[in-house]
Amino acid sequence: MGTEGKENTEAVEVAEHIDQGEIADVMESGDKGDQEGKRKQEKVKKPKKTRRGLRTFLRILQHAALAAMVFSLIVTVACGTMRVVGMRSGAFVELFGNMEPGESFEQSEFFNGVLGYALADIIRFGVVSSQMETAGAFDGEKLVDVTAYNQRSTGLSGEYITAVYKLEDLLKWQKYGFEYSVEKMTQEQAAAFLAKTTQVSVTKMVDDTEVKPYVQYRIVDSDSGFVTDYQPASALADHAEPELKSEREIVIVNPYEEEVEEVSEYAVLINRYKTAEGKKVEDYVSDWEQYYALCDSVQNAAKSLAYNYEEYLTGEKYFRPENSNVRFLIEKKEDHVTQYYSNIEAGSSERSDCLKMMEKLSRGEKDSVQVPYLYYSPAEMVYRTNTPIGESTVREVLDQYAYAYPEDVRIWISVDTSYSAPDAFKQGAEYMPNLWQWAMTALVSGLLYLVLFVWQTVMTGREYDEAGVKRIRLETFDRIPTEGALLIAIGVFLLTGWVCIVAIGIAGIDPTDLAFYREAVRWDWFIAAILIGVFVADVIFTFFFYSLVRRIKARTLFRNSYLRRLLSRLKEFAWEVYDNGGIVLRTWVPYVGFLLFNLLMGIAFAALSYPGSGWILVILFTCAVDAVVGVMLYRDAKERQGIAEGIEIIAGGRVEHQLNTEGLHGDNKTLALSVNSIGKGIKEAVEISMKDERMKADLITNVSHDIKTPLTSIINYVDLLKREQVGSEKARDYIRVLDEKSQRLKQLTDDLVEASKITSGTISLHFERINLTELMNQTIGEFSEKFDEKNLVTVMNVNTGNVVVEADSRRIWRVMENLFNNIYKYAMPGTRVYVSMDQVGKEERVQVSIKNISENYLNCKPEELTERFIRGDESRTTEGSGLGLSIAKNLTLAQGGTFEIELDGDLFKVFLTFPLAAVEEQEETTGKNNA
Amino acid sequence: MANILVCDDDREIVDAIEIYLMQEGYTIFKAYDGQEAIRVLKEQQIHLLLIDIMMPKLDGIHATLKIREYSSIPIIFLSAKSEDNDKILGLNIGADDYITKPFNPLELVARVKSNLRRYTTLGNLNTENNALFQVGGLCINDDTKEVTVDGESVKLTPIEYNILLLLVKNCGRVFSIDQIYESIWNEEAIGADNTVAVHIRHIREKIEINPKEPRYLKVVWGVGYKVEKSV
Repeated sequence: MGTEGKENTEAVEVAEHIDQGEIADVMESGDKGDQEGKRKQEKVKKPKKTRRGLRTFLRILQHAALAAMVFSLIVTVACGTMRVVGMRSGAFVELFGNMEPGESFEQSEFFNGVLGYALADIIRFGVVSSQMETAGAFDGEKLVDVTAYNQRSTGLSGEYITAVYKLEDLLKWQKYGFEYSVEKMTQEQAAAFLAKTTQVSVTKMVDDTEVKPYVQYRIVDSDSGFVTDYQPASALADHAEPELKSEREIVIVNPYEEEVEEVSEYAVLINRYKTAEGKKVEDYVSDWEQYYALCDSVQNAAKSLAYNYEEYLTGEKYFRPENSNVRFLIEKKEDHVTQYYSNIEAGSSERSDCLKMMEKLSRGEKDSVQVPYLYYSPAEMVYRTNTPIGESTVREVLDQYAYAYPEDVRIWISVDTSYSAPDAFKQGAEYMPNLWQWAMTALVSGLLYLVLFVWQTVMTGREYDEAGVKRIRLETFDRIPTEGALLIAIGVFLLTGWVCIVAIGIAGIDPTDLAFYREAVRWDWFIAAILIGVFVADVIFTFFFYSLVRRIKARTLFRNSYLRRLLSRLKEFAWEVYDNGGIVLRTWVPYVGFLLFNLLMGIAFAALSYPGSGWILVILFTCAVDAVVGVMLYRDAKERQGIAEGIEIIAGGRVEHQLNTEGLHGDNKTLALSVNSIGKGIKEAVEISMKDERMKADLITNVSHDIKTPLTSIINYVDLLKREQVGSEKARDYIRVLDEKSQRLKQLTDDLVEASKITSGTISLHFERINLTELMNQTIGEFSEKFDEKNLVTVMNVNTGNVVVEADSRRIWRVMENLFNNIYKYAMPGTRVYVSMDQVGKEERVQVSIKNISENYLNCKPEELTERFIRGDESRTTEGSGLGLSIAKNLTLAQGGTFEIELDGDLFKVFLTFPLAAVEEQEETTGKNNA
Repeated sequence: MANILVCDDDREIVDAIEIYLMQEGYTIFKAYDGQEAIRVLKEQQIHLLLIDIMMPKLDGIHATLKIREYSSIPIIFLSAKSEDNDKILGLNIGADDYITKPFNPLELVARVKSNLRRYTTLGNLNTENNALFQVGGLCINDDTKEVTVDGESVKLTPIEYNILLLLVKNCGRVFSIDQIYESIWNEEAIGADNTVAVHIRHIREKIEINPKEPRYLKVVWGVGYKVEKSV
């Protein structure tokens, strides 16, 4: 725990120390940092001691890489996104700067994009300028023919009604508003109000190019049936200003008889300003329809001009040399006067240079313009530029304003590449060339982070023990149950997030404002805040993430969770209840659950079906039925439990057990009867088999008795024959063979009886406390002569203190006798016989192992040796019955021991184990007791 | 010398036994079933009876029961039944010894001799001499360091003599190998080996008729050795 905690704090400290140095390095050149990391990784791979140091370093490097990536990304996005503010307010375009490495800024797509927007703005600005300016300056006295103005893009008809106002009057009028008053007038008064004649302007071709209106008067009869209330005059009437009313002269004109006395209401435009001629609107028309059309024209013109004026003001400011790096000059002829619209100061050397350049370009001379420029003169069919903007683009833009750009217009646009004014060009020029490097830094450090992240994910928790075996080491935090860790993680993240939000709030930063970042990347504290912030955030994130990874690796994610503990508790509880609850619980718990559900459903149903108190009776009735079913279920379960217990008894070996079938019904009865008959069948089978075994043993015993009697005669007479002085050497040899074989026959019959008695289970054992060491010493003593005869040396090792076992002393001697006889018969002469005693297992058993080297090749399996009539040599010519090992094994098993033979080449091993007797008495006392 | 009745339904066995015993100088009477044996016993002065158990007409067990009603002569069973139960039964109903078929003729002769000696000469214990120890036919005179079995002298090594004396002095008590070693060698037995066992084996071969079924020096397997109180 201590080490991990220390590490983390160290990591943070180091991060703060190096963020100026190392991280800066990484930022400047991601490749370099990456290579360095790799080199270090390789260098420290060998020594194990520095592995931990390496991991810490890589972890810090990982956080640093992320910090570098985030910062680079901020720079790339914030500075690479240009907000090109157009001339028109509110209109802006965002562009992601995209520039090929090695390309100059002026050639970039971005530059041309911005220039394209500037071109459109300039042409638009040229239009509004021409409406507002005279000789390069705003001219309020400029006369505006309202109808001509309104029809400027569609063209004028031959004759039209119009009024000419001063520009500033129209602008002011629009500003203050057009107002109408409602006048009650009789027909005569209405007629008199308007002019007697309508003043009509007629367009005439001037110089074949320009439309020049001239004024003409014509008498037009007024239409008496004109509907007066087509304007919402009543609403406008209140706004009529009182002082203007005195100015208004109401002239009643009545070209007809006075028979019409009817008074109508007319909406009348209040003439805030008079025309350039000093006339009112009504003075130009003799007809109400014409009057309203003219009013509309005036109003529309004023509205449009006001809008254009706003635009003009914006544009004028926008294109001022201190605000824009774009320079433009539009030259066009108006009424045979050359007008210039430009943001290049009139009379300056720049202006004259510009004009000279234009002349040169018009003449088709080779340009020597260094800056990006664009020159267009439709009249001369000249289009020159060193930018990718094509003539068609320019023409397209110009066509929208064909009325303002006659054929003899000349347009010059250039960009000041010193970028002195703070506009989009300057910003682009400033960041674009370095942007790809920032992007690369972001990419490289991002990749580095990813690689380190994956590496750390793979390596975290991995550890090698002394033997080099891989294992997962869990930190202290990883041992906290999963849900607890999750809560801590959520808490830390929420806290961190809250701190960030509060910090941003205090600093008054709008995190979505790109311009802020653009500005901020130059501030040291901002860089430091980003680096440290991201670093710390990553430290926190990876701390929890790697913990998660280690949990998954060590498979403790679920295992070490409260959920699993809860589930396992529930499971345990359910099983406990089920196992220990007995039949009542097993039957009744599900039944009661079922019952409750039914009851609820029943109540609901009954209450609906039997309104009033009748449903209670229904419920009581169903309850009674349920109770009966419950009792039956209980009885059934109880019966089954009885059967299960009976089966257990039978399975436990008491095959004679019979189930009581009284009071059982249905399946349970069938089951019980079947169990009984199975038990009976087993019992009979066992009895028959026991009987068979006993009969076999009896038969063998009887046969052996019958054999023994003649055998006695044979042995005796052979012996007698031996005593007779038989002369022939051959005869003596025959007698010897007879003697040997008769002795062997005797041994065989004895062993046969013994073996059959053991297998039929008719031997009775008398258990005593036997000291195995004593027994082995006695046995070795007994066989000392026989072994000496064959030059066999016995080596005994006793490796255990307690060797007292419970056994039948004569039988256990028989076991040892058979084993030692076996050794005597089959061991290679001149070898050693090893006898050792060890305590084995938890069950307090003592193991006696006897090992010797066989003289003959043993070509059989160990287990076959203990079968009856098996001898290793298969020849059956030597003495012995072939029952020795079988008897030894069966006797050992009968005394609660185990008997195992192992063959290892010629090494013959016998392992006997016996359960140790409880240590209670001293050996001396046992000795006395046995006496 | 002594008259011995041999009773067995197998005539050849009877004949064979006759040959062995006649060589030792005994007078042999023969019978082939229990009734005949009883008749011969009544007619003749018989000193020892060798009788088979499984015989026609009257078996050995019942014959012995009848004989014991009036006679205390040594009776030795000679049977093919070799189970412990048979031996115990035979000895309990009044037999003095039990020999299983097929028997070693020499053992048979030795047992016959032993039983006759007991019956005729060694009827009473001579307890006057403190240096004289007697168990059945085994007699040790500690003064002369002489050991006799059924009156016949046996030659023992000093260690063998000391072991036998220890066991006979404390007859009935079981001595473990360690205890015997400590008593005789006067040394602490450190994981005693089979030295004692080998000596015992030698003693048995010298004093016992059949060392595998010793009468005097018995092996209590896994516990130790002892000399029975009475044989």
